[in-house]
Amino acid sequence: MWEDFLIWKSYLDNPGTLKIDLMLRGIRIADPVHSISCADSSIDLVLPDGILANVPCCEPYTEASLYVLKENHDGGYVIGDGTAEVPVQLIEKPDFLSGQTKSGVPFSDIAELHGSYVVISPASGCEFFNEGIECSYCSGGFDTDEASKVFSVDDVLEVVEAVKKAKAAEIVYLSIGFSKGADGGIKFLTPYIQAIKKFFNVIVAVEALPPKRNHWIDHTYAVGADSVLYNLEIYDKELFELICPGRAGLIGRNRYLNALKYAATVFPSGTVASHLIVGLEPPGSTNKGIDCLTDMGVVPILPIYRPRPGKALGIDPLTTEIIIPVYRHLYKTVRDKNINMNWVSDISVLTTPLEGRNLLDDPEGGNIFESFYRSKLGKKTAWGLSSIRRKLRVRGKAFTVKGDD
Amino acid sequence: MPLEIDKRPLWLVLAIRSARVLFFVSLAAAFYFALTISVPEGLTEGGRNAIAIFIVCLILWVTNAVPLAITSILAIVLVPLFGVLPSDETYSIFGNEAVFFILGAFILAGAVMHSGLSNRVALAILKRYGHAPKRMILSIFFLSAVLSFFMSEHAVAAMLFPIVFEIAKGLGLRPGKSNFGKVLFLSLAWGCVIGGVATFLGGARVPLAVGMLKEATGETINFLEYTVAVFPIVIVMLCVGTVLLLKLFPIEITDTGKANKLIAEKLQKVGKITYVEYAVGGVLFVTVLAWMTIGEHVGLAVIALAAVVALFVLKLVRWKDIEEYVNWGIILMYGGAITLGTALARSGAAEWVATQTIGRWGTGPAAVIAIFSLMTLLLTEGISNAAVIAILLPIGIGMAGKYAMDPTLITYAIAVPAGLAFSLPMSTPANAIAVSSNYITVKELVKVGVIMSFTSWVVFNLVANYYWPLIGLWGN
Ligand code: SF4
Repeated sequence: MWEDFLIWKSYLDNPGTLKIDLMLRGIRIADPVHSISCADSSIDLVLPDGILANVPCCEPYTEASLYVLKENHDGGYVIGDGTAEVPVQLIEKPDFLSGQTKSGVPFSDIAELHGSYVVISPASGCEFFNEGIECSYCSGGFDTDEASKVFSVDDVLEVVEAVKKAKAAEIVYLSIGFSKGADGGIKFLTPYIQAIKKFFNVIVAVEALPPKRNHWIDHTYAVGADSVLYNLEIYDKELFELICPGRAGLIGRNRYLNALKYAATVFPSGTVASHLIVGLEPPGSTNKGIDCLTDMGVVPILPIYRPRPGKALGIDPLTTEIIIPVYRHLYKTVRDKNINMNWVSDISVLTTPLEGRNLLDDPEGGNIFESFYRSKLGKKTAWGLSSIRRKLRVRGKAFTVKGDD
Repeated sequence: MPLEIDKRPLWLVLAIRSARVLFFVSLAAAFYFALTISVPEGLTEGGRNAIAIFIVCLILWVTNAVPLAITSILAIVLVPLFGVLPSDETYSIFGNEAVFFILGAFILAGAVMHSGLSNRVALAILKRYGHAPKRMILSIFFLSAVLSFFMSEHAVAAMLFPIVFEIAKGLGLRPGKSNFGKVLFLSLAWGCVIGGVATFLGGARVPLAVGMLKEATGETINFLEYTVAVFPIVIVMLCVGTVLLLKLFPIEITDTGKANKLIAEKLQKVGKITYVEYAVGGVLFVTVLAWMTIGEHVGLAVIALAAVVALFVLKLVRWKDIEEYVNWGIILMYGGAITLGTALARSGAAEWVATQTIGRWGTGPAAVIAIFSLMTLLLTEGISNAAVIAILLPIGIGMAGKYAMDPTLITYAIAVPAGLAFSLPMSTPANAIAVSSNYITVKELVKVGVIMSFTSWVVFNLVANYYWPLIGLWGN
């Protein structure tokens, strides 16, 4: 027991490592912290250095967490691990999410806020569920055709308007599950992207499954997407086939890699990304995935695997000690390959490549561009430059959404 | 245009995309520079400004950076703005007789086409004469030429193209492979080009040139006089064309039975000749006759517009039917070109430019004619024939002054070759239509077109030097 204590190390002094440890272990909420609601199973916190973290607080495993969130004497909050405490800020669930659209749909059914971006799923279906070949860890709230809901463009626009009014986010992620068409769902998303781009100055990212043909990637860019994510999730071929039977069988690992490679030639540097879930495969395999993706100019994004009730894969999550070198590798690789890291920043549910910098033995300081990119003006500039780039690069008209292949 | 993502380096894309802005900024800078240089000897300030405006318009006409008509509008903005001519004079020149003649000719040609008369004549002639492959080629060639005597060669090409295309298809000719197919479309294009220079009606360029001549010098050329002067060129070129069409591409078919059947069927579908066709034909006949006989006294535009009024009084056409045949862009373009040409001439700029440029090479009237006709032939292959006239004629008229030549000679030397574009698809719609059939390639068109262009230059100069003195046009 005392050896355990010897290898245990406090992460409170490094917000980068603290974020990882918090995401793995979760947090207990001390009584009385009246203003906190953990109804969504997690809370968003701002750690020292402005690092955003989404921390589980309701899952059973959080009861054993070292970390406690408490209110301190001046009305602020602190996280303590029994040895020390660090001040944190609590991001309250924005009010606007409790609103509803004119057609009566609660905003929270359509959107989720994750730090500086909002995730909108205009349709909640994923056809993998129809055939029982969904990803084993899936927690995306997607469902079978019968249970799935489709929200109208107007509903989605109302949500984005509310997000903008509340100044809650500058980036909109449009997320869609698997559909059988050759377009990877982009045909369905096109009117949403175009409408958002027409009415709001926001950056739009598309999180979808790779289309069968590259011209749909051109189309995705042409209709207004500023960023695209085709999430491979698992780099190891066998584990990919085992854990993601739908993705492996109906799309294939090679198509993922080819689509990402092509997208990186169409979209600006740093705007094509792919998730690799840390903890679903050995860290060495994740590192290989990082190398492969960055060679193509794609930004790997590494969410941490956390078992969810009813979705247990029989895989134990990795420890912080094992995960930290993977994030270090991520940061160094993206930096050395000159891929812009600023597009993927300020995300609460995962550690971004940029945050990997805090994990270095001798952390590097940020540059002036970085702070600029993170500012409101920087986000507006990024939006403006992205629009100009599209005007310059796109020739001809995007396809009509009637086309199929 | 299909969707395409330009993946070249962003700086290169930016440079290419901003080329247009850079172009206009440079043009504005060059214009400003030209306006600020000290006035050269022998030139007035107005003359210098006219030259600066001319250079801007020349660049815009040649590059087609904005539509030709818009360049002309720019000219009528700049001419009064920079004091070359007073505003009221500028706009009165814009409303030149030639502009109204062109408007009348467009409406008249529109009425002929809309009534179906031209289509009937074309089918009837093909049915009557096109019984064997060679006869069919010559029928199309001469039919295109003769129709272009009376209406715009562009309209003739557009009207005959579907008929010729159906003949080619009906005979099972393979695009790009069949020699008969190539010759069919060449005969259409060449017929239109050659016939188009025969009268004032083949294209609006001759009225444009005559309008510019009249505004600059007070001299004019009448309908009959022009046709008499040019007809030998047309005859010789039709003969040369006949020989080349029959020799250059050996015809591989021996029978045109299927095509004849097709033409007969089409003619049958057209039905009996209608009152409207008779009446439109009658109006056209009277109009041409009037142009030839009383045109000089009454004015060509007056006759053309009277014919237009007659068409509407007799209810032969409706305005809605005619609107699509009137190319308002060309009308604006011509008005502006005439205005600019007049501004150059009246300010003395044209003569000054002529003396400083072509004047150095010209050794006498024959050389001047040869140089201008050659320059026109070369330019007309690349840019619109109206633009060529707008660019070269003011200088040519200035040149005539230097050699004490009759300026009408220079007008012929530019107006006629401006229509003789045989080599490139962009030079005239007739060529473009022929190439669009896919039966003849651009390469083939250029190969045979160059022979025709060179021949036409030689023929033009021979006619100018040996025939025109006979009819009193050239008194040397
Ligand atoms: S693709 Fe996989 S992870 Fe995404 S919604 Fe479908 S089953 Fe879930």
